Amino acid sequence: MLCENCKERPATFHVVEITDGEKREVHLCEQCARDKKVALPPSLSLNEILSSLMEAHAEKDVPELSDVACPDCGMTYAEFRRTGRLGCQRDYAIFEKALLPFLEKIQGATNHKGKTPRRATQDTGQATELLRLRRELNDAIASERYEEAAKLRDSIRALREGQ
Amino acid sequence: MDLGKLARHAGEWLRGTGADSDIVISCRIRLARNVPDFPFTARCTAAQKTELAEILSEKVLDADIGEGAEYLPLDNLEEVDCLFLVARHLISKDHAEAEGAHGVAFDIRETTSVMINEEDHLRIQAFRSGFHLEDTWAAIDALDNRISERTEYAFSERLGYLTACPPNIGTGMRASVMLHLPALGMTKQIEQVVQAVQKMGLVVRGLYGEGTQASGSLYQISNQRTLGKSEMEIVENISSTVPTIMTMERKTRRALMDRSRDKLEDKIWRSLGLLRSARVVSSGETLEHLSHLRLGVNLRLVDRLDSATVNQLFILTLPAHLQKIEGRVLEPTQRDVVRANFIRETLGEQ
Ligand SMILES: [Zn+2]
Ligand SMILES: [Zn+2]
Repeated sequence: MLCENCKERPATFHVVEITDGEKREVHLCEQCARDKKVALPPSLSLNEILSSLMEAHAEKDVPELSDVACPDCGMTYAEFRRTGRLGCQRDYAIFEKALLPFLEKIQGATNHKGKTPRRATQDTGQATELLRLRRELNDAIASERYEEAAKLRDSIRALREGQ
Repeated sequence: MDLGKLARHAGEWLRGTGADSDIVISCRIRLARNVPDFPFTARCTAAQKTELAEILSEKVLDADIGEGAEYLPLDNLEEVDCLFLVARHLISKDHAEAEGAHGVAFDIRETTSVMINEEDHLRIQAFRSGFHLEDTWAAIDALDNRISERTEYAFSERLGYLTACPPNIGTGMRASVMLHLPALGMTKQIEQVVQAVQKMGLVVRGLYGEGTQASGSLYQISNQRTLGKSEMEIVENISSTVPTIMTMERKTRRALMDRSRDKLEDKIWRSLGLLRSARVVSSGETLEHLSHLRLGVNLRLVDRLDSATVNQLFILTLPAHLQKIEGRVLEPTQRDVVRANFIRETLGEQ
């Protein structure tokens, strides 16, 4: 996107202006933003800042991961780099090799320090199993295999009630 | 929940009381949490979102989030109502625009809100008026424990609470303090303050993340990083930064009083006069004059108003609230008239 003001340099400042109670997005390059004194405080939303950081910092090429997709949610590393979002909790393990250096950059740490939940996932095997069953259930419904879907639904219920 | 009734008052975070409330409007902490056997919200099917909303709304209400708590599904809520909840910080803008089953549970005093199916399955928030970040943490920590006794969380020993976006991982915590810094703004010292705060690993934003001018000198300071620091360390980092900023703002206020009291009083009384007399007033103009007025009340230059009234006007004069109070969608030009009427009513016409 080009700067609205000079129409020369790329717009890196996305500012929300409020005039007469109406919100309007203004896109400016750094220089024009500085001239207009709109640069401080950063008026980007935190998410915008973080996702642009993501683009800049996410490990570019991790050959081992280029063909890997999460068996539970289907997330690929390329998609993560594009959206900055992971698909399910398992992705953290699957893409660990690329994520740890990325976390080191954006968080300055790779280890949690702080509270732990009262009931952490005790049996991750079971959680993964549930995730798999749900995925199959969705596929079954999508392709109108209702008999199979009913069976899957029963299995999910049994597993949940067994918790 | 009757939103129309809520619209006439402002919630906990605008009560205008508590420690250092001449400068600190409020504290807010939010925690991002997910449950293990579903993908993150963006990757859930419509059916999964419905199931999650059903399960989680029940567990959250069971965990006792406060007096008169209710769950409000947002999937079919009018846009006017969603914007209203955003203005009150009960939900995020993204949550207002989300698709599929999603909703929010909050108590009648608006000290707590729990968004369901936001970017993460749960976004738990606690609010306190004034500078009480430790208390806010104590409240949300206890609530988080109660919820986690009722449902499992996606958690890893190494990375902590697993979130849809890596920038939230670890504690999943964002703590913020909202400050009113008019004197630093008037004397153009605010930019240096912002830069210094950023060096402490903190983020500074306007009231709703917008630019400086439109925000009535209201700034939110929050932590950027969520991993590798404990919740208490995050709280302490902010808690030890805020008093320094408060001291600077108070010093500057005193200097303005000493050196240019006439000009300062003139500015404040003109703002009061304008707000009490205007027939058409935009929200940008309102924020600017309310900021002066709030300063005037805190410096005891204006004695007939309390800060709660002024605080509430910051929020009640936003388009979302005016529409809610009027009970209809308003054109921008109508809004400015309704806003002016509402302000005159509240401040007492001259
Ligand atoms: Zn430009
Ligand atoms: Zn996955």
